[in-house]
Amino acid sequence: MAVDILLDGLKRLEYRGYDSVGVAIASEGLKVFKDKGEMSKIEPLIPRWNGQMGIGHTRWATCGRPSKENAHPFVDCTGRIALVHNGIIENHLELRKQLEEEGHTFTSETDTEVLVHLMEHYYDGDAHATLRAALSRVKGSYAVAAMVEGDGHIVVARKENPLVIGVGVGENMVASDVTAVLGLTNKVVYIQEGESAIVSADGISIFDAQGSTVDRQPTPITWTVEDAEKGGFEHFMLKEIYEQPAAIHNSLLGSLDEIYAGAVIPDIDVSSVKLVACGTSYHAAMVGKYVIEDLARLPTTVELASEYRYSPGTGECPFTVLLTQSGETADTLAAAREARRRGCRTLAVTNVVGSTISREVDHVFYTNAGPEIGVAATKTFTTQLIAMYLLGLRLGAMRQTIDRTKVRHLSTELRSMPRYVSGVLDRASQIEEVVEMLVDARDIFYLGRNINYPTMLEGALKLKEISYIHAEGYAAGELKHGPLALLDASTPVVAACVNDHTREKMLGNISEVAARDSPVLGIGVEGDRELAAITDAMIGVPRVPPILSPVPLTVVLQLIAYYVAKKKGCSIDKPRNLAKSVTVE
Amino acid sequence: MKAVILAAGEGTRLRPFTMSRPKSMIPVGNRPILEYIVEALVSNGVKDIIMVVGYRKDTIMLHFQDGKRFGASIEYVVQDKPLGTAHALALAGPLLDGKPFITVAGDNMIDSRLIADLLEKRNGLTMVVAESDNPSKYGVVEIEGDRIVGLVEKPECMIGNIINTGIYHFPYQMIEMFMSQTFGKELGITQLLSKAIPEMDMRVVKSKGQWNDAVYPWDLVNVNAQALDDISQGIMGTVEPGVTLKGPVNVGAGTRIRSGCYIEGPVTIGEGCDIGPNVVIHPSTSIGNGVQIEPFSYIAHCLIMSNVIIGSHSHISRSVIGDGVRSKAGLFIPSDSCIVRADREVFQLFDVGAHVGQDTVIGSRVVISPGTVVGAGCRINDGVRVSGNLENKCVVV
Repeated sequence: MAVDILLDGLKRLEYRGYDSVGVAIASEGLKVFKDKGEMSKIEPLIPRWNGQMGIGHTRWATCGRPSKENAHPFVDCTGRIALVHNGIIENHLELRKQLEEEGHTFTSETDTEVLVHLMEHYYDGDAHATLRAALSRVKGSYAVAAMVEGDGHIVVARKENPLVIGVGVGENMVASDVTAVLGLTNKVVYIQEGESAIVSADGISIFDAQGSTVDRQPTPITWTVEDAEKGGFEHFMLKEIYEQPAAIHNSLLGSLDEIYAGAVIPDIDVSSVKLVACGTSYHAAMVGKYVIEDLARLPTTVELASEYRYSPGTGECPFTVLLTQSGETADTLAAAREARRRGCRTLAVTNVVGSTISREVDHVFYTNAGPEIGVAATKTFTTQLIAMYLLGLRLGAMRQTIDRTKVRHLSTELRSMPRYVSGVLDRASQIEEVVEMLVDARDIFYLGRNINYPTMLEGALKLKEISYIHAEGYAAGELKHGPLALLDASTPVVAACVNDHTREKMLGNISEVAARDSPVLGIGVEGDRELAAITDAMIGVPRVPPILSPVPLTVVLQLIAYYVAKKKGCSIDKPRNLAKSVTVE
Repeated sequence: MKAVILAAGEGTRLRPFTMSRPKSMIPVGNRPILEYIVEALVSNGVKDIIMVVGYRKDTIMLHFQDGKRFGASIEYVVQDKPLGTAHALALAGPLLDGKPFITVAGDNMIDSRLIADLLEKRNGLTMVVAESDNPSKYGVVEIEGDRIVGLVEKPECMIGNIINTGIYHFPYQMIEMFMSQTFGKELGITQLLSKAIPEMDMRVVKSKGQWNDAVYPWDLVNVNAQALDDISQGIMGTVEPGVTLKGPVNVGAGTRIRSGCYIEGPVTIGEGCDIGPNVVIHPSTSIGNGVQIEPFSYIAHCLIMSNVIIGSHSHISRSVIGDGVRSKAGLFIPSDSCIVRADREVFQLFDVGAHVGQDTVIGSRVVISPGTVVGAGCRINDGVRVSGNLENKCVVV
């Protein structure tokens, strides 16, 4: 029955975060059920209608508060058309006013509802043409699916929001993410920008923006459903932390050859680099700045995608690298388009093969971390770091700013990285014990210098995301410019100190902090007696070249965040108010 | 039928190779021992598997997850304290739905024939037995016809060569006997059974299937060789021109075999390795993922785990090298006969190399004597000759 397939698919997407759930089934007329709350509470209430076609939605409130009325699907005034939508309709107020004047009755506060009334307005017996006509009126972004009573097919369209069709045997499925259909098929067709489609049980027709048919073969997906299941681990996040040695190994496979081969990035003339990203990926980009400046001696800037896309742009046209785990982050996609518009050469670093960004850029590097379900990014972050090292080595080799001996040395160390990370994981029980000193804190400061300044920003973000403790990452040199005033015995500090050229300064900063009675948790190279002497507790990581130290350090910080959240009893895989990939702006 | 795999123990006698994984997850032929067991069960149609896990359970759960990748459906039961296999089995009891079941030790190398024979010839409480040339390490079974009359763990004098493989068929009533025990100290299945022999009808199935148990580190190279017996050729990585491959050789994705290498199978090489130029690898050798072997080195009959670096001009024979071991140029580990001590016993070994624990760092021109066991995380300085047993984190100057 359609309703079971829908609920199963929606459950697979639960990890992305939601506040309400709804389904509409074509079963002797359209039947709709929706409510606010968690899937586990709503599922038993949903009647098992005997229909073969339906649409479902989990909503994450952007326009209109979370409520039963604002949940999708929406139906028109006649109750014959049902519709679900991801994205934002920017001109919804204006459209709503016009439609209300024409006599349409709105039941919600959402932007989406205008779409269903627009369809009603244009409806002429052909749902596909009607949807296209309705969408021609709207400004904004959408992935939309609609059905009309008695039609036997679903019509879909996308603009700046992901949409895939799962190709089954005697059945077809539409979803916003591959994970939703993986249980039923491993063949999918990606709907591309501006396209629309008609999907029925026995066929799929795809149309481009002009309305001409498009012929596209399904893409096989190598991820399997069990890749996305917890397999005995208490949380996806812990499983994904433990998957990092394998993820890093996969990320490196064949990529070390790329340093001289130039298959991903050909020999190009680069005078500067700009790294653009959001959230956790932004921290990977900040590490990338240190790596590229060190190895390739190229001036490198880092910008938030949401800022870059609205920035004026300058005369210089840097090599622009966009980092997005999902490849669907709305702001990063917009930034990619903006970079192209400015005439910059673009490279995307993403984890998802065939994602939207891979079609928006000149070159793509896939991190091959495998699917990540926990909302807090773990293995996708460390593999983005690997991508930054490979990019730095590639640019350095291309520009001959590093010699072959150094490339070989760093390649060897990168190849050993899975082992170093395993070495950190072996210390998990020690980390679980020492985080006791952080659990009751209200605020925690994370201090680092040089390349481990962004590492500590990421560490603070992880803690904020899942434990709800206020944490702030700071460059240790900035201590005297403010944060020192906030330190006292109830404000613990986590400090990173490795054997790089900033070590002496960092040790000095830690002593300053300790002098304010703040409990200090030091993270450093194992066997570092000097660091152990001035901190209240110390976690050691395997000795790696300082430039690579963000990787093992990050794994320590992930485990710190995980164990703090666990001791506080937080909902680790689904932190409140957060979604996995932010496809709205 | 359901199977219970007992994989909660560490396997302390294999230290240092159990530092960060249980014995059942030690790779032989580049796959964990436990995977061969799951495969043997699944190929006989036993797909519902309960794994009792404990020591470093994360490594097992991460590898097998819910079992779909292996054609099985796996449930996990956690044994928090090392209270023995009888306790482990009792923990699995509630998941057995009142039906007869199979029990297998998670850390013995078995092939599917053993399971097939058990399924075919089982008769109530049944134990699979094998013949061994060296029964004193194992549990020896005394039988009359196919009935068990005695069961002696590690006998001091020769009482027979029929040994217990740890593979059983249990009628459901047996689990109730296990569940009714009070567990204070470690209690093994055989201890419990041997007490009950007089009042119980316990049968054996003799099987010609392959059974092997690595008890001590020096047993691992032979278990590894057994695992490599039936591999077939498969080249996923890059083999440069001028490389000679003979016999079955497996090369994983992203691995590069450089010019002038001479590799004689059975040999399996994992993913993302960099081998050569001019490296000789002889049978039966396994090399894990992300391994780098520098020019002019010779490797024979070895088990080399992942992320190992072996410096140029090295010679390593019949040895086990743990994850993340790194050596500089000229590491010498020749194999020879020797006498070693372990468990307060003395073993006379023929043709054995050395055993190096994970993350040990070895300088240049180091010689390690046959039979040596080097702990994990040791640091061996340039030009040293090492012999005997080294504790973890030793520094040798």
